[in-house]
Amino acid sequence: MLSRRLRNGYPKMKRLLSSVTDGKGFDILLVGLPLLFLLAFSGLPLLYNVLMSFQEVDIFSLGRLIRPFVGLDNYRELFAAPEFWPIMWNTVLFVVCSIAGQFTLGLALALFFDTGFRGSSFLRGLFLVSWVMPGLVVGAIWNWILSGDFGVLNYLLTSTGLISENIFWRSDVDYSLWAVVLANIWLGTSFNMILLSVGLAGIPKDLYEASELDGANVLQRFFTITLPMMRSTIGAVVSLGLIFTLQQFDLFAAITSGGPANSSNVAQYWAWELSFRQYDFAKGATVSTLMIITVMIAAVLYVRSTRHEVRI
Amino acid sequence: MKRLHILGGSVTALALLASSAFAEDVTISVWSLDKETQPAYNLAKEFNDLDNGIKVDYRIVQFDDVVTEAMRAFATGQAPDIIAVDNPEHALFAARGAFLDLTDRIAASDAIDAENYFPGPLNSVTWDSKHFGVPKATNTIALYYNTDMFEAAGLDPEDPPETWDELVEAARKLNRPEDNVYGIAFSAKASEEGTFQFLPWVQMTGGGYDKINGDGAVRALEIWKTLLDEGLASPDTLTRGQWDSTGTFNSGNAAMVISGPWELNRMVEEADFNWRVALLPVPEEGAPRASAMGDFNWAIFANTEHPDEAFQALEYFASQDERLFPDFGQLPARGDVELPPTGVAPKDAALKVFLEQLKYAKARGPHPEWPKISKAIQDAIQLTLTGQKTAQAALDDAQERIDAVLN
Amino acid sequence: MSAKRHTRLLLTAAILLGAIYLFPLYWMYATALKSGSEIFAYPPTFIPRGLDFGIFAEVWATRDMGRFLWNSLVIATGSMALVALLGTGCAYVLARYRNVWIDITLFLVLMLQVLPASLMITPIFVGFSALGLLDFPRFAVMLAFTAKAMPFFVILVRATFMSIPAELEEAALVDGNSRIGAFALIALPLARNGILVSAILIFMQAFGEFVYSKSMIQDVTLQPASVGLNGFMGPNTVEWNKIMAYATIYVTPILAAFVLLQQRIVSGLTSGALK
Repeated sequence: MLSRRLRNGYPKMKRLLSSVTDGKGFDILLVGLPLLFLLAFSGLPLLYNVLMSFQEVDIFSLGRLIRPFVGLDNYRELFAAPEFWPIMWNTVLFVVCSIAGQFTLGLALALFFDTGFRGSSFLRGLFLVSWVMPGLVVGAIWNWILSGDFGVLNYLLTSTGLISENIFWRSDVDYSLWAVVLANIWLGTSFNMILLSVGLAGIPKDLYEASELDGANVLQRFFTITLPMMRSTIGAVVSLGLIFTLQQFDLFAAITSGGPANSSNVAQYWAWELSFRQYDFAKGATVSTLMIITVMIAAVLYVRSTRHEVRI
Repeated sequence: MKRLHILGGSVTALALLASSAFAEDVTISVWSLDKETQPAYNLAKEFNDLDNGIKVDYRIVQFDDVVTEAMRAFATGQAPDIIAVDNPEHALFAARGAFLDLTDRIAASDAIDAENYFPGPLNSVTWDSKHFGVPKATNTIALYYNTDMFEAAGLDPEDPPETWDELVEAARKLNRPEDNVYGIAFSAKASEEGTFQFLPWVQMTGGGYDKINGDGAVRALEIWKTLLDEGLASPDTLTRGQWDSTGTFNSGNAAMVISGPWELNRMVEEADFNWRVALLPVPEEGAPRASAMGDFNWAIFANTEHPDEAFQALEYFASQDERLFPDFGQLPARGDVELPPTGVAPKDAALKVFLEQLKYAKARGPHPEWPKISKAIQDAIQLTLTGQKTAQAALDDAQERIDAVLN
Repeated sequence: MSAKRHTRLLLTAAILLGAIYLFPLYWMYATALKSGSEIFAYPPTFIPRGLDFGIFAEVWATRDMGRFLWNSLVIATGSMALVALLGTGCAYVLARYRNVWIDITLFLVLMLQVLPASLMITPIFVGFSALGLLDFPRFAVMLAFTAKAMPFFVILVRATFMSIPAELEEAALVDGNSRIGAFALIALPLARNGILVSAILIFMQAFGEFVYSKSMIQDVTLQPASVGLNGFMGPNTVEWNKIMAYATIYVTPILAAFVLLQQRIVSGLTSGALK
């Protein structure tokens, strides 16, 4: 009896073991562990947010999961809030302009450094500085630079004659959002540049040579070779850029606090403000849930872009 | 048997000895925003060193994070024993039973007597006619002015602006954009600070947080708008807190500033000009006065395991109230504490004005949903000052939102 | 135009661009060295008047920076190790297959990072406190940060593995290696550069981690430098030169290490080791 179980059990275990070292089990283990980790430490908190958006939450029921269910009330109230559409529009502007700015500058710099002149790799390294600096410090420095009465940016602009009187970057409803966009472009350019540099380096040089022999000019080569070959890199850069931009919180907190009069408020800051300034956790969670839906769409786009990846 | 008895006796004695000498100290945790130079930090340390079997675990929590951190901790059963909370937010916790009812303990206490406290601060720790805390300190706002600039502009430093119109007029005369000097500085920031600065203006006209769209309130907001539109105050007034605004006064970039006694020490140190303090101007001559009431309260969380030890700590803090002003430049929230002159003339003169102003200080709330009420007021201020709505329309909207909260 | 002049022109342009880009960094250093009133001076002084380097020693001592930086180092190292440990294998598998399950996994990995830390902290705090993890606050921060930083790592390292020809591994398998063997002996060494570089980038991010640390680490002796910096930034601050001096001490070591290592980082990222 015992020996039979052993006889039957042993090969099973061996198969399992060999699967882990040598088969599908190996793959599942490698992906499964981190995925479980992510589901536990990111997935559950997200679900908690989604759940809260359908509930009535007060500050003392934060630690519980079972709370009064209110259906779509939170969503209805949120859509009805006068600041809802302006803030959503700000979010779109912030995300699109930040990504466009970071990407264009990043690509330009990547192409520029890709010419491989002497010292290019050292200088390119220096551009990663914005990646190294803690968000808190970046926020404080920009807050300082953008200050209206004694900020150095105003000084530079007035002394070069670009503007005739000080711009109140943080307090003027026409500029406050752009102040944060400016700082965010500065912050994100380096990571765009470095990932795009990586993509550029991966394009086989003989493609260019062949095309040059065919008489294609620089622009033609850029559009017929560079861009198509970089498709997957661009997909990755833009979707990571979207995520980083939607996560950008420090700069808002440091520079404008979303003001004045919500003129620089965006979804992620608003969600925080609702939750932690007005203690309306359900509404904050509702805004978060809307963001989750947006990013889901972006993630689908990214995954689709990886379909076109070229394997060497 | 006898031996056993002796043995038993000595074991008991030993145990007694052990329990007295090696008694596990009770540790209570205290959260407050006070840093090394401020009262709570030092008082907690002193109490810890009293060697009375109670140890204090002190944690500094940033001003902006107090409520968030506290409720997160409370919701998960990790709340501290004692917390210092901003007075308008006290009711948020008290009304929900998160704070311990101290009424009986205060009644029995030798160190704390409710009758000694100013009504405003005491009102802010009171909910449902029970005391859920002890005022930690108090403050209010008044008008600081640069007397050198007054003289240069042909104004009489002995006769500071007393009404709103005089204030605007003085700001116009003092304003010198070519020298980077604004007539006045204040804070209209979209945070509690904005409400703190604006509400007194409304209260002087007979309004309040529950009646925010009266004619007087509209006029007050229009005056604020005039100050910004005419460039008499920096556009950054919209995003700058009181401390930073006062910084521009100290550096000579503003001729007047509306701020509180917490600035006194810094001003004595930094300002290289003569300055004085006047009561907040009123709508018109003879109008009732009002001012803001600020600062924090002490409270004990309801789920503390050591309520007696925690209250002992509060008693110790209260017993040291007479040191608040001389040592730390803060005003005790009670009338029975003498404030000795510091010997610094402008500071002593200013203190007199602030003590006078304190008589008119009104609490914000108390209301358990104060943050929502305050937010409605902040939005009205910001929408008006950025020109997106008229003062009347913005305040009407605020009133509607406040009514929704109140009813 | 001669080739040499061309190079010099490019170099000048690059240095100019660099100078503009690095201005905020310069401004941090310059502000740290200014006196109280000079900071608020308008027009601003671009070169601090009196260079008082004593401020660094003063800030270091009064703010207990040694302890804070040590905690930052612990948190950053732990997070980096966790991310690399969990993320490398995941990236490898995601690079080796192309099917709907891989798509779903990639999708999840990206998706789970939507919200900023400031919005994730409440549920994480609640969950961690239920699990008792808050008794090990630095470890708790490492766990939370790892979850946050992993997607970035996975996407970078996945690209590295993509650039390693699968044929090499197949050859190893034919030679009698197991999958583990092929992974450990062939793929990992070839992807070493990309993994290392991505890990360093994660380390740098973790070194500046703030939101999780602020809420989860209540014991001041365990807090990292970001929380220490925030501790005296507060709303009532005039000590901008000290704040910037603190920031300088905080950032400069990573920056220095970075400049020393950067040749390798950049070439590791761009030389085709990472695609």
